[in-house]
Amino acid sequence: MAVVAQRAPWSRRAKEIRRHTLIYVGLTPYLVIAVFPILWMLITALKQEPDLYRMDVVPFWFHLPPTLKNFEFLFQRTFYGDWLVNTLSISLFVSAITLLTAVPAGYALARLRLPFAENLGIAIFMTYLVPSIILFIPLSRVVSELGLQDTWWSLVVVYPTFTIPFCTWLLMGFFKTVPFEIEEAAMIDGCGQFGALLRVVLPVSWPGVITSVIFSFTLSMQDFLYSLAFVSISEQKPVPLGVATELIRGDVYFWGSLMAGALLVGVPVAIVYNLFLDKFITGITGAVIK
Amino acid sequence: MGHLASGGGRSPGASLSVPVGGRAKALPWWRTPSVRRYLFGYTLLAPAVLYVGVLVGAPFLFSLYLALSDASVGAPVARFVGLENFTSALETGVFWTAVRNTLVFTVGAAVMKGFLGTTLAFLLVQPFKGRRVVRGLVVIPFTIPIAISVLGWKWMFDSQFSVLNWALSGLGLIGEYGTPDWPVWLGQPMLALASVMFVNVWRSFPFSAIVLLAGMTSVSPEIIDAAKVDGATFMQRFRKIIVPMIAPILFVGAAFDTVFTLSDLSIVYLLTNGGPDGATEILPTLAYNTGIRGGALGRGAAISLFLFPLLLPAMVLLLRTLRRRQY
Amino acid sequence: MSDSRLVQADRPTVTRRSFLKVTGAGATGGALLAMLDARQAPAQLKGTSLRVILWSHFVPAYDAWIDDFAKKWGEQNGATVRIDHIPHLELPARYAAEFAAGAGHDLIYFAGQILTGQYYRHLVDLSDLANDLGTRYGPWMPSAKSAAQVAGVWYAVPDYFISIPVLWRKDLFESVGRPAPKTWDDLRVAARLLRPKGHPTGMQFSHCNDANHNWRALLYCFGAKETDASGQSIELDSKETREALRFAKALYDEGMTPEVFSWDDASDNRYLASGVASWIHDAISAFRTTEDTNPKVFKETYVLPEAAGPGGTWNVGEPNVWAIWKFSKNVPAAKEFILAVANSQKEAMGASRGYNMPFLRRRYDKPMPGLGQDAKLGTLQEQDKITAFFGHPGPMTPAAQEVLTTFIVPDMFTRVARGASIDETMKWGVGEIRRIYAKHKAT
Repeated sequence: MAVVAQRAPWSRRAKEIRRHTLIYVGLTPYLVIAVFPILWMLITALKQEPDLYRMDVVPFWFHLPPTLKNFEFLFQRTFYGDWLVNTLSISLFVSAITLLTAVPAGYALARLRLPFAENLGIAIFMTYLVPSIILFIPLSRVVSELGLQDTWWSLVVVYPTFTIPFCTWLLMGFFKTVPFEIEEAAMIDGCGQFGALLRVVLPVSWPGVITSVIFSFTLSMQDFLYSLAFVSISEQKPVPLGVATELIRGDVYFWGSLMAGALLVGVPVAIVYNLFLDKFITGITGAVIK
Repeated sequence: MGHLASGGGRSPGASLSVPVGGRAKALPWWRTPSVRRYLFGYTLLAPAVLYVGVLVGAPFLFSLYLALSDASVGAPVARFVGLENFTSALETGVFWTAVRNTLVFTVGAAVMKGFLGTTLAFLLVQPFKGRRVVRGLVVIPFTIPIAISVLGWKWMFDSQFSVLNWALSGLGLIGEYGTPDWPVWLGQPMLALASVMFVNVWRSFPFSAIVLLAGMTSVSPEIIDAAKVDGATFMQRFRKIIVPMIAPILFVGAAFDTVFTLSDLSIVYLLTNGGPDGATEILPTLAYNTGIRGGALGRGAAISLFLFPLLLPAMVLLLRTLRRRQY
Repeated sequence: MSDSRLVQADRPTVTRRSFLKVTGAGATGGALLAMLDARQAPAQLKGTSLRVILWSHFVPAYDAWIDDFAKKWGEQNGATVRIDHIPHLELPARYAAEFAAGAGHDLIYFAGQILTGQYYRHLVDLSDLANDLGTRYGPWMPSAKSAAQVAGVWYAVPDYFISIPVLWRKDLFESVGRPAPKTWDDLRVAARLLRPKGHPTGMQFSHCNDANHNWRALLYCFGAKETDASGQSIELDSKETREALRFAKALYDEGMTPEVFSWDDASDNRYLASGVASWIHDAISAFRTTEDTNPKVFKETYVLPEAAGPGGTWNVGEPNVWAIWKFSKNVPAAKEFILAVANSQKEAMGASRGYNMPFLRRRYDKPMPGLGQDAKLGTLQEQDKITAFFGHPGPMTPAAQEVLTTFIVPDMFTRVARGASIDETMKWGVGEIRRIYAKHKAT
């Protein structure tokens, strides 16, 4: 008995180790695929220029001392600081607009059994299908009429055209998961339907709200064409446009600074992502599964 | 769960109308509960519908008009030419190459994303030490702005300084620089298409994995345990329980991702601009080079709208099924 | 990148901030002088704020120069000038947006992709300015008109063109006993001898600007024509074109590696700078990059203005022209600015390290800035005599522009290099070109 009792935890630990090993082995290819390019970008960002063009030595290590010059270049010789602030502001405003429109819309579509609701929902989704290659021309008229040409505010107006459809569908799923009983109870307690939405439904669905914000952030950073068409002034550009247009000079690529510029926005967002990931997962789960 | 499905479900407004239903007759029509509910509902919908209606709907009609006219960048007031832009697109070889590549790109990338995403989700659903760190690392490709990460890939695919080739060559998997066994990622037709697809996959598979992970964690362990007790094998549990449960997530995720992939210009534009000899030409690059850089707006619009009639019914069908599903 | 380049690539635009610093502080050294100058400036310029869009120059030092020039010009004239730089390939999208909006920059710039024929109805007639410059420094090269005129009216003013000569390695050529190259055949032989020694050549078989220009140069040197002189009838289907295609196939088979199918505009620069290439056909920015990054290779790199072919010697330039939107509220200031830049051509060409080739004949008086003092680049001082542009010998019409941006000519060469039959390729390419021309004729 005593022997067995002692053996059991040991073998459990062995099993654990084996299980972990299997998982790590299984994860390796994915990590290589996902992380290798990132690692390479990081190394490139820290390298001196002549070190990049050597194929006779291991490219993964530094043959000239690593340097922060590429990062300094970003902040001292370009408007990278402004670009960061612009991107952050754009994303915040876009998120706000998206929430203000998509929350009520998603709620109405999910809960109110409106005639044509289904078709309206599909119509909203369909707007996601229209390619930006043709939309940017008429939209530039709109942007100019609003007096927003060459300011990042133009992008605050335009980006919700793709965040609203996405987040409406996402939130629609969340609201479906909220039990009707909660809402009814709130209404009997004297809340109007709108009050019930604000005070009961929304707080219960906050993972959905966070999910929408995160998506608004990421989607806003994936655009290139709209920002190219609407913003040409350096200090008004968002990060992707600024980096891609001002760190390539004809046939000269400022590789190190390009990579530095990408990592400085990508990594913090990934960290935030991860912090919220648990909420996020319940968020998506709520949205579609239940 | 089923009772919550839309359409078939109750709504609070509707249920409230039951106890007060008796008074409904006395009220004028615009104050009846269902009318009030409609008013409330459409008011809630209005901002979103107006926003996308004004900023996408109206421009979309304008682009339809472009596609049916002979407009050029400098002369937007143009003649109506009917479907001529569409038929003239159909006549050119490059257009069909672009259609083929677009389909191969979208479907191929979707399959790869599906495979990598699903398998990764299966790994990440297990509890293990360092799961948070791993999850954080794998989402980075998704959080870096695509326009910049593509430039990173351009550098990694460089015909001369490719770090990929350096690594593969060091491992003895490919030949030395200057030999025919040194792959030119963006130069060989099949390889070029595979490379641009891979960048799309690299960027999106973490997203697929997370979405699926979400789906899997939501399958309650009790159901799986019950199935185990009933003697279901792993494959049976997978097919009969997990797949049906995560299918709706897959659908919405796939629908949005497909549209995003279809209309995404930046990867191909920045890596190959459709070359060499159309090997990676897709509809967005062809439309951009014809309509914007070449100045033939009408034909560019027609090319970029070409998939619309094909996509529309598919999407409507998909979304309707999704919404009606009893899940 | 060297430290000097970092400095040259200093803040890319005259910023609102730096402008405020200059005008606001007003106490800087030359301020008094500037104020005195300002009194003589045309009155209508005072207080205007001129917006200019330019491409990001391949020689970053030039951007720094023009930004500084604009700042000083603004100070002298009591105006503010703001220059935005964006990559040349993205300019057309920006113009489409500005045109649709009816607002944007006053002074715009077509770099490589000449949209004069597309937008001329909405561009200011600049004939007086162009004719004035023609009398002062001209005459204009005939091809200048093709880039800037529609029906005899100047809707644009040519600034400069980019020349794309042959850059070859003397040490490598000598190592296989070859003399300095003069013809395309010389280049082909050298590449054939040098590839086995690890020094192939390369010209882009891909969808990039250089591919468009390099293969056109070969075509024209073989005597092929894209259209007739009026730009109306397509004459590409010819014996000469077939010969050029055949030559390109041999050049590829004997002297290149498959890398060329993946190249972009910058790849051949790196090919030269890394010491691999035996020769390349590229703008002198590649020469300058090599100068900055690999002095050893640079010492052995020489410049041939263009290789001769059976049909003559034709270099294909990339034209750059100014234009002013009709919706601009600062037309006089914009015109003054074009004039000021043109008057400072010598300084500008020097700042571009000999890169900006003038369209005006008298600007070719030797020594030319950036070229004349340089033993290797001195040969480029007669480039005006051998330069042609896309569409040659026809003008740069919208149809020719669409043929350019859809990469039909490079694709024809790519197909043949990959082994497609010349007849079929010709049938395909000319068919696509005909379709494009037919569309433009219909409108």
